[in-house]
Amino acid sequence: MAHRSHVLVCAGTGCVSCGSFQLGMALEREIQKHRLDAEVQVVRTGCQGFCAEGPVLIVQPDEVFYCGLKEKDVPLLVQEHLLKGRPVSKLMYMPPAAAAPVPTLSRIPFFAKQKLVVLRNRGLIDPERIEDYIARDGYSALARALTEMTADQIIQEIKLSGLRGRGGGGFPAGIKWATCRQAALHRSVEPILVCNADEGDPGAFMDRSIIESDPHAVIEGMIIGARAIGASQGFVYIRHEYPIARERLGKALVQARECGLLGQDILGTNFSFDIEIVQGAGAFVCGESTALMASLEGRVGEPRAKYIHTVEYGYKNQPTNLNNVETWANVPLIINRGAEWFASMGTGEVAENPWNGSSGTKVFSLVGKVNNTGLIEVPMGMSLREIIFDIGGGIPHGRRFKAVQTGGPSGGCLPESLLDMPVDFDSLTAAGSMMGSGGMIVMDDHTCMVDVARYFIAFLTEESCGKCTPCREGLRCSLDVLQRICDGTGEDGDLDLLEEMGGVMQDACLCALGTSAPNPVLSTLRYFRGEYEAHIRERRCPGGVCQALIHYEIVAEACDGCHACVNVCATGAITGQVKYLHLLNQDLCIKCGACIEACKRDAILRV
Amino acid sequence: MKLATVTIDGITTEAEDRTPLLQVAQRVGVTIPTLCHYPLIEPYGVCRICTVEVHMRGRVRMVTACNYPVTDGIQVFTQTDRVRRTRKLILEWMLARCGHVKVLNDLAAEYGIDEPRFGRGDDTCILCGLCVRVCSDVVGANVLGFFNRGTTRYVGTAYDEPSDTCIACGACAYVCPTGCITIDHEAEQIRGELPLGPLTPIYIPTMQAVPHQPVIDADSCIHFKTDGCRVCASVCETKAIDHGQQDRHEEIQVGSIIVATGFQPVDAKKVPQYGYGLYPNVFTAMQVEHMVNASGPNNGQVLLKDGRVPESVGIIHCVGSRDKNTHEYCSRVCCMYSLKLAHLVHERSHAKVYNFYIDMRSPGKGYEEFYNRLLAEGVEFIRGRVAEVSDWAITPMEQGKLVIRAEDTLAGLVRRIPVDMVILSTGLEAREDAAEVRRLFNVSCSSDGWFLERHPKLAPVSTFTDGVFIAGCAQGPKDIPDTVAQAGAAAAEAMALIDKGEVELEAYTAWIDQELCSGCQVCVPLCPFSAIEFNKEKKVSQLNEALCKGCGTCVAACPSHAAQQHHFTDAQIMAEIEGVLVS
Amino acid sequence: MARLTIDDLKRMRDAAAPTLTLRTGTARARITVHMGTCGIAAGARDVMAALLREIESQGISDVIVAASGCAGLCSQEPMATVEVRSMAPVKYANLTPERMSAVLQQHVLRGEIVAEFALGAGCETTG
Repeated sequence: MAHRSHVLVCAGTGCVSCGSFQLGMALEREIQKHRLDAEVQVVRTGCQGFCAEGPVLIVQPDEVFYCGLKEKDVPLLVQEHLLKGRPVSKLMYMPPAAAAPVPTLSRIPFFAKQKLVVLRNRGLIDPERIEDYIARDGYSALARALTEMTADQIIQEIKLSGLRGRGGGGFPAGIKWATCRQAALHRSVEPILVCNADEGDPGAFMDRSIIESDPHAVIEGMIIGARAIGASQGFVYIRHEYPIARERLGKALVQARECGLLGQDILGTNFSFDIEIVQGAGAFVCGESTALMASLEGRVGEPRAKYIHTVEYGYKNQPTNLNNVETWANVPLIINRGAEWFASMGTGEVAENPWNGSSGTKVFSLVGKVNNTGLIEVPMGMSLREIIFDIGGGIPHGRRFKAVQTGGPSGGCLPESLLDMPVDFDSLTAAGSMMGSGGMIVMDDHTCMVDVARYFIAFLTEESCGKCTPCREGLRCSLDVLQRICDGTGEDGDLDLLEEMGGVMQDACLCALGTSAPNPVLSTLRYFRGEYEAHIRERRCPGGVCQALIHYEIVAEACDGCHACVNVCATGAITGQVKYLHLLNQDLCIKCGACIEACKRDAILRV
Repeated sequence: MKLATVTIDGITTEAEDRTPLLQVAQRVGVTIPTLCHYPLIEPYGVCRICTVEVHMRGRVRMVTACNYPVTDGIQVFTQTDRVRRTRKLILEWMLARCGHVKVLNDLAAEYGIDEPRFGRGDDTCILCGLCVRVCSDVVGANVLGFFNRGTTRYVGTAYDEPSDTCIACGACAYVCPTGCITIDHEAEQIRGELPLGPLTPIYIPTMQAVPHQPVIDADSCIHFKTDGCRVCASVCETKAIDHGQQDRHEEIQVGSIIVATGFQPVDAKKVPQYGYGLYPNVFTAMQVEHMVNASGPNNGQVLLKDGRVPESVGIIHCVGSRDKNTHEYCSRVCCMYSLKLAHLVHERSHAKVYNFYIDMRSPGKGYEEFYNRLLAEGVEFIRGRVAEVSDWAITPMEQGKLVIRAEDTLAGLVRRIPVDMVILSTGLEAREDAAEVRRLFNVSCSSDGWFLERHPKLAPVSTFTDGVFIAGCAQGPKDIPDTVAQAGAAAAEAMALIDKGEVELEAYTAWIDQELCSGCQVCVPLCPFSAIEFNKEKKVSQLNEALCKGCGTCVAACPSHAAQQHHFTDAQIMAEIEGVLVS
Repeated sequence: MARLTIDDLKRMRDAAAPTLTLRTGTARARITVHMGTCGIAAGARDVMAALLREIESQGISDVIVAASGCAGLCSQEPMATVEVRSMAPVKYANLTPERMSAVLQQHVLRGEIVAEFALGAGCETTG
């Protein structure tokens, strides 16, 4: 049923810090009281651009703009404007005539569609100043967790929120915490907390950005986790390639320690906990939990069988709770604003069983052939189409969307037909991909899916630790087959062979790197089989990428003999006199494509 | 103990909760192939060939049997299509790497692989890691490790250099499933040692000994080199092995002692002209004895240091015996053991064997017959002392050989005989520490260091100290039958004392008058039986009458006449003299 | 810094809030340069240096300059957010040192938004 009126309460950062949440809730209560809830809807919007006089709200369709509101103004506003239809002039504000000549962020889809929870402080605070973080309610969740909540209550809150691990596995954090706590109590062994910041997926930089813009959020989340699980020692395992993130995190730890937020007797509550930064040495496999712990212990970063869970026997055989950066950064807000609020975002009814859905938001790094590349945070369950076309701004150069790869190198490629699929843990897995840590690579129609699969398998072959046979040899053999398909020497049984190898790898590999490694092959085979067949049967690369299967031609009608292509051709394959038709010698052409870039008349074709 | 009911291929059994599935399967007789598994080493789960299908509460999982802990109610299937398909592909992948390894090809045949789809590679290592794990987890030497990552992973030593920490224990080669690690028997350094010690660190020193117990040789035991291993302790069901045992001194009160401290072979280096220690192929008889042992380092083969079989062998008798430069006596046993070695070397290597002897001493039952048999076998005997062994070749025939130069006293000429191997029949000599033992037990020695019996004919096993007997080569060179006979005699003497229960002393022992003794201690060093001790508190000498033989030395020497002898006091002697003079 | 108690935390929050929101306090404007790895790679350090140089040479004392993390739109870095008192914050994108000093002159000192380089006004939705 349509509402007759919408009250657009600004939920931009400026207004939130002046109490627009409380204002919105007061409005809802008041509207309920007057039984107007069927007619009037309260909507929280992005920043309406007038942060200086917040909190602001607009009543639609009347276009009446109120600002500088306080909770005590609400009864008057509801009674007068919403019930009686008389705008309250003393609360209204008329913007100056010379309004800002630029659009507000809430009208730019890239910003408007995002919902910043984890990234709430991005671009606002100085990450190297703990005062800035505290000014934005930082460490208030910790104060609450330490003084008002028991360990069980904290865990219960996390369970009810439905928070699932953001590192790729999607395991419910509350259950993990509870298991770790139990294991530690049962064995009377001190549990260990680890934050996984070994983000290795190509094109993914969520964790780096979170630590760079808001390191204290991660630290606060970890301290709350430590309190819940009963740990006194934590580690952040961060990859060596993130120098700025590491430096900022290091400074944040020093500040937190100086303020007594880490170390002995935190906030005077007798609770002690400290965090140490450990640097990875650049192995992708160290993002895997058991390999990470081996590396933490100073051994070679190789996974072990997980029939014994790390929450029971992890780092140095102590119960170890590993969560990723984004998971930890979510924790303070869940404690501050409650599980219910968190669960209201995203999909499914998670309060009873976190496996039922995906609550909260997810940070993605949106890269590839998309106009607005960047780091975004959206509520779980947003469709791929909204992410790629609204936030991402579509495909550059007017090309067609072909596929989106989610979940890093071991994720899968999803086709256009799945664009309306909601992005959450279970939908992605069902479609043969995965959430992973949140990498999202958009590909246009100039992409060859076989080449994409080959690229990711090559990456994984390089990064496989080589411990178990199926991963080490299976990837190598898969890569050989993919390479020969790209080289135009693929054979008829190759696709079945790839599928057979993929299936066995999923069954037989030692760790998640191996079992998910065939995803790029299997998902492209599932959705783009035709392209593989074109490579094998017609010796043709529809994306125009595989060098062995393409060649360049000069269109005689279009060539005006401008000589631009001759100038850029490194091998002298193009000849011809100025103002006369040029010729291309296929024997000399190395298919670099420089001529096509140089030609202004589209006279060169890639075939 | 929590029990889990497990069903494997339809066979239901009970096992302790969280036992590795492979163990349970083996117990009920279900065979699961393994490559990276070895019972003594922690499961690793990397070859994945032991993958099986587990059904648990409606879920189906593919797990590796070697390290999967069983839980109650699981159903395991080891031969489903999915399992066989998985194993088959894994084998094809392994063959793509190691195409010519027997164990893989045997398994491949079992899984119906005729020609692997990814070809056959030339490597032999399947990276199962058993060698790395046995070296670090069991042996503790930490020599082997994995290097690189992924497809370029390989097993090696640090910086790919020969390791100085490798103790050449051979454990890696022993556990390697593909046989890609071998211990290089040709390697000079290993052969060069030709260990004379035990062949395995745990051995029974003397098979006929009582108690019949094995010991651990600390020099060759891996545990004492790396602090690791202890495999023996983990397999010993009675938990009898204690690596922490130390040598200890024990005091035992006894009534009689048999000294049977044996001999030592003469150090062949004392006879430098025979080139022992200079030429690698000059061996002592003891080394060859070790070599021809069927369970020895060469499995009983007679080999030169470079691994060749010798074509000719010279045995030089009387090395360190019957020689003024070393020992003048005859060691008695060398002739016969040289004959035995000549026989064995000839039999094992079919080499031409030369014996260089002074006199052939083969007295005793069957000995001369053995000598005659060797003559019939074609062993050469040259009578005459060998002058020298050298590698100085004069003729082309002598090139690369050891030349034995000896006088042939029967033919009356000097011979040069080129051989591949020289065996020195070293004699027997008294042990280095014989003098200390002698002092300890107060027994006498001959000039050669052999312990002296009280009387060569009447008391051949007794010494001048009552209750101390001697047996075996400690008394003089002799062979095993003589040793055993003498040992029996010594034992009987000792038994006789024990049986009697008491010792009769001579009545004419000395005694020291405590009132008269001035504490000058002249008597103490003079007593040949160590019967006098000086009492430091009373500052007088005291005499143990049980040790005193009544020789009277102390009585004669005592300046204050404190030392007296029963029945031989001055007064008695004077009276006797008087009596003699009167009559 | 002294060890904090829970009351200190609240006091600190109240005291520090103005520096972030400009609502109270004496500063005329706050300029936040977004310095994540993406921004730095695109030249944010040069932009920041130019800004500081400009402020120093002109003797401006009532402008807060802050560094912060990535603003999300990595493809248009370097970015900066300029917040002038009583005006909505404005995000500028694709900055260079020259453009930054233009923004300082025109927007901060004269109060006129440089529409040419501006991406949008206001701030993002949080929570």
